[in-house]
Amino acid sequence: MASRKESGVSSSNTLDSPVKQIQIEGLVVLKIIKHYQEEGQGSEVVQGVLLGLVVEDRLEITNCFPFPQHTEEDADFDEVQYQMEMMRSLRHVNIDHLHVGWYQSTFYGSFVSRALLDSQFSYQHAIEESVVLIYDPIKTAQGSLSLKAYRLTPKLMEICKEKDFSAEGLKKAAVGYENMFEEVPIVIKNSHLISVLLWELEEKSTVPSKHELLSLSSSSHLEKSLQMLMDRVDDMSQDIVKFNTFSRNTSKQQQQKHQYIQRRQQENTQRQSRGEPPLPEEDISKMFKPPQPPPRMDTLLIAGQINTYCQTVKEFTSQNLGKLFMAEALQGHNS
Amino acid sequence: MSRFFATGSDSESEESSSADEITPKATGTTLTKQALLLSDEEEDTKRLVRSAKDKRFEELTNLIKTIRNAMKIRDMSKCLEEFEQLCRAFLKSKTIVDKEGVPQFYIRLLADLEDYLNQLWEDKEGKKKMNKNNAKALSTLRQKIRKYNRDFESEIANYKENPEESADDDEEKDDADSGSGSDSSDDDGEEITAKSFMKKKPAEPTPDASKFLKGAPDEESDSDDDDDEDWGSETVDSGSESEDNEGNSASLALVFLKKAPEGSRQDPDRKKEDRKKRHKKKDEAIEEEGEEEGQDEEQGWENVKRGVPMIKEKPKMFAKGTEINTAVVVKKLHEILQARGKKGTDRAAQIDLLHALAAISNENNLGEGVSVKIKFNIIASLYDYNPNLAAFMKPEMWKKCLECINELLDILIDNSNIFIGENIAEDSENLAISDQPFRVRGCVLTLIERMDEEFVKIMQNTDPHSQEYVDNLKDEGRVCAIVDRLLQYLEAKGTTEEVCRVFLRRIMHTYYKFDYKAHRRSLGLQGESKSEQDQEESEGEDSAVIMDRLCKFIYAKDRTDRIRTCAILCHIYHHALHSRWYQARDLMLMSHLQDNIQHADPPVQILYNRTMVQLGICAFRQGMIKDAHNALLDIQSSGRAKELLGQGLLMRNMQERNAEQEKIEKRRQVPFHMHINLELLECVYLVSAMLLEIPYMAAHEFDARRRMISKQFHHQLRVGERQPLLGPPESMREHVVAASKAMKMGDWRTCHSFIINEKMNCKVWDLFPEAQRVREMLVRKIQEESLRTYLFTYSSVYDSISMETLADMFQLELPTVHSIISKMIINEELMASLDQPTQTVVMHRTEPTCLQNMALQLAEKLGGLMENNERVFDLKQGVYGGYFNRDQKGGYQQKQGYQRDQKGGYQQKQNYQRGGYRSQNQGSY
Repeated sequence: MASRKESGVSSSNTLDSPVKQIQIEGLVVLKIIKHYQEEGQGSEVVQGVLLGLVVEDRLEITNCFPFPQHTEEDADFDEVQYQMEMMRSLRHVNIDHLHVGWYQSTFYGSFVSRALLDSQFSYQHAIEESVVLIYDPIKTAQGSLSLKAYRLTPKLMEICKEKDFSAEGLKKAAVGYENMFEEVPIVIKNSHLISVLLWELEEKSTVPSKHELLSLSSSSHLEKSLQMLMDRVDDMSQDIVKFNTFSRNTSKQQQQKHQYIQRRQQENTQRQSRGEPPLPEEDISKMFKPPQPPPRMDTLLIAGQINTYCQTVKEFTSQNLGKLFMAEALQGHNS
Repeated sequence: MSRFFATGSDSESEESSSADEITPKATGTTLTKQALLLSDEEEDTKRLVRSAKDKRFEELTNLIKTIRNAMKIRDMSKCLEEFEQLCRAFLKSKTIVDKEGVPQFYIRLLADLEDYLNQLWEDKEGKKKMNKNNAKALSTLRQKIRKYNRDFESEIANYKENPEESADDDEEKDDADSGSGSDSSDDDGEEITAKSFMKKKPAEPTPDASKFLKGAPDEESDSDDDDDEDWGSETVDSGSESEDNEGNSASLALVFLKKAPEGSRQDPDRKKEDRKKRHKKKDEAIEEEGEEEGQDEEQGWENVKRGVPMIKEKPKMFAKGTEINTAVVVKKLHEILQARGKKGTDRAAQIDLLHALAAISNENNLGEGVSVKIKFNIIASLYDYNPNLAAFMKPEMWKKCLECINELLDILIDNSNIFIGENIAEDSENLAISDQPFRVRGCVLTLIERMDEEFVKIMQNTDPHSQEYVDNLKDEGRVCAIVDRLLQYLEAKGTTEEVCRVFLRRIMHTYYKFDYKAHRRSLGLQGESKSEQDQEESEGEDSAVIMDRLCKFIYAKDRTDRIRTCAILCHIYHHALHSRWYQARDLMLMSHLQDNIQHADPPVQILYNRTMVQLGICAFRQGMIKDAHNALLDIQSSGRAKELLGQGLLMRNMQERNAEQEKIEKRRQVPFHMHINLELLECVYLVSAMLLEIPYMAAHEFDARRRMISKQFHHQLRVGERQPLLGPPESMREHVVAASKAMKMGDWRTCHSFIINEKMNCKVWDLFPEAQRVREMLVRKIQEESLRTYLFTYSSVYDSISMETLADMFQLELPTVHSIISKMIINEELMASLDQPTQTVVMHRTEPTCLQNMALQLAEKLGGLMENNERVFDLKQGVYGGYFNRDQKGGYQQKQGYQRDQKGGYQQKQNYQRGGYRSQNQGSY
């Protein structure tokens, strides 16, 4: 229950951002799915550019094109060049050529990473309305399309702009793992002709198309999620240990510094009583260099990722529980 | 003895830049340098100062002389060698040459040599007859000299115009240099003929010659050979060592003298005329020699010689008419011994001298005392022959040494009235024949120990894959026989300490040999044929009995720790080798050697490692897989088995080991015939690891804290997995990896076929003495462990499974299956119960599923995370609370306490859960 409230909070955050809703053409969704089917395998990730335009507070994504997969052979491949050319070509055929974001596939919901943060920041920095679409092929294969749009919150944008990832900075900006990203609601829009066609097809098709939804074999998915979750927890533990040693070091140094100052003061008072000039002030901060604090951002990202995993697992389990109850009821009914 | 070893290397290191490089050949060249023994004083008095020019030129002339000799006998390789030396020498004397101009004799040689070479080159017939080395040397030399002569073109042309003049010139110079030009040239001629004659029939001489030499024929011919080989270099050596040059003429004469009889011996026809000359020359030589040795008896020399033909070779010893008695011989012996260890002493000659002395004393019936004394010294000189410790004895020396020791033992055993001992002082020796028993200083045990070491050294330095090694190994029997005889002798006479030492020697020669005879007897088999059986019976008692007797004596009597340790280790090794596992293990455990072996010296540690390995292999043969694995773990896990067993050096960079260390390590190597097969060792280890690890892995598949039993095995598995393309296994390791994979699936048949097949048989299993039994044991183990693995892996799939099916699947008898499953259930490895009436295993399905396991792991990890997080809090509060607000701190701590409680509750809960899980399991039995 609590989590729902949280997500409610995060959605309420969207109010002050320039984009309140995203409308995606069916074409774009199909293109993204197709791109993953053809290029991505296993844990590999595919990426591409979204094109569209902003209408009032609504972002309409009308088209997209994929990035080619990187291999080591073509290291000198110029991505920017490719994008520009691609957009120019699309413009010639009268397609929206406004850059409004990018999409990425994910493997069991693991997408909260430094790379994503950095690129989304650069997008949002250049084009304010940019979003990143996260497409989860595995969930989609289980029967329900999983496509989510994310934006960095303005707070995080500021921090990224200042490159201040220290604990204090994050604290001041009140950025937690919950409010790093904001999810923007998505509407998939098809032209009326397509809707009509779909209706017609549904009439004609004889195969029950939604049987995957009722599949009961869930453990492998859950296992995988747990595995990833565990890995992240391990990372988190490590980070905490790091932070621990850091804070221990700081406190130790603090103590030393304090002692030093006290000694100096004592000496000065003695000197004063003897009528000598006080010792010159030295730069204390030079003598005691504070230890490098571990970067907070990574930990934050890990926390975010853990959060995502938990959400997925929770969602998944609640769905499955429902299915299980249904199955039980069915069985009881039969027997 | 010690004096011997310590001073041995002096002269050698002087001659060559580093003592390490000395090869037997190098030592050979110094042999005939000085046939006489000059005492130091004489050398000193004769020393005179010469100009640098004389010195250099003499060097050159000497070289030239050698070249000319070589030219005469058409020894091209010699020629080439000498020519290169000549060039070098000439370069050295450059300053003098610049001053004086190029010496005529040098030019003359160049010209002559070129002519000679050209002539040879033209002579196609001759070239065909030449052996390959010579032909090669010829062509190289020809090219070289052509190039070289270009620098001297004008001089050579000059010389060719009027050769007479320059020749004369040179002759004069020669005379001036050597002092006896005509004489030496005479000798030269004679020598050459003898030499060339010998060249023509090189193989013939020894048998004939040795027949009419009584005494030690082998040695005779050996020394002849030496002289023969080294003749050519004589002048070079004396040339290059300017110090010795004073004695040059004398020694030259002597060497010639020595040669002459040789030639005559091989050519009876020429004997007469030779003899005349020889006698004449001998007389001269003896005169000089007599002076040098400070003995003034001059005549009578021939009388003695004539009576004893053998000593003709040795143109010294006693003057004529001297009554040869013990005192004189001993005095002479001392004289000879005094020279030893001094530089410039010819060690080979010394040995010959001692032999001659021995012969004389025998001739004159001086009694065993003297001959024992001399024998001691001969053997010592033989050991002394090699100047540094690293070099090993030459085969002929070794043979000689063995013979001498045998003779010595003969005498000692035959005559019980000889006392020998290290602590008998020189002056209290009693060598004369009298009523009193002989007393001789010396220690036969030390000599024989040294001999044993020499034997090991020879084996270390022989290529183990050559026929030579086999030949050398044949001497092991003789060594053993000597040790045996010594053992008998010392058992009667020696102190317990000595007996312990000789026992250890005996043990060291026994422990690593597999006693096939006893093995066959224990199997109840008789020898195939009657004769073999007879032979077997005549061979004596079992080695086990011998080992037992010897070792027990040492355990009881030895006071030095080292001997006892070695004896124990050898005893264990021997037990293990003969599959007496329990005895071996008990002995090992009783000895407590594992605790303090790291304090022992490296050779003992190597022995320990060998023993442990043998123990492991023995355990494996007996089917004690776990014990085998444990025993081998230490050696195998380091990856340096080769080094630890002293069976070879690992390649390492020079930082870790300098040349000195490397030499020491090389000396520690175990000879090849005692090696333990490393592949066998590794295979045994890997197979044991497989039999342990695979079921363990299957049982603990989801355990986060699972530890590895064997790192090395895992490493092999990983290597196998990394392979992009998996072909049929080739090497032993690949076989084991493939078998492990099969076993993981519970497929024992495939596993079996990977472990036991043609390839593995010939690589590994056939090396065991009871190969068939081991294979049977192995099959059985594979079946059992596969069954366990199968149950671990697939028990979650079954509700129940009939034991008969299992027995059928794994080809095991029903009771075995029953016992294995019962054991698994008792050990809580398998959550199941046995249903007796239906003979089935009923699974309880209480094992957590993969998901549950994962959840447990996650919970554990989260617990860890919590703990870490709390620690962060602790720190924060500590700092702030301490500084600012005591109340606050107290408050925090209270809160903390609360948290702790909570945590405790969590843990309790967890414990409860686990406990419940376990009790549930237990309840189900």
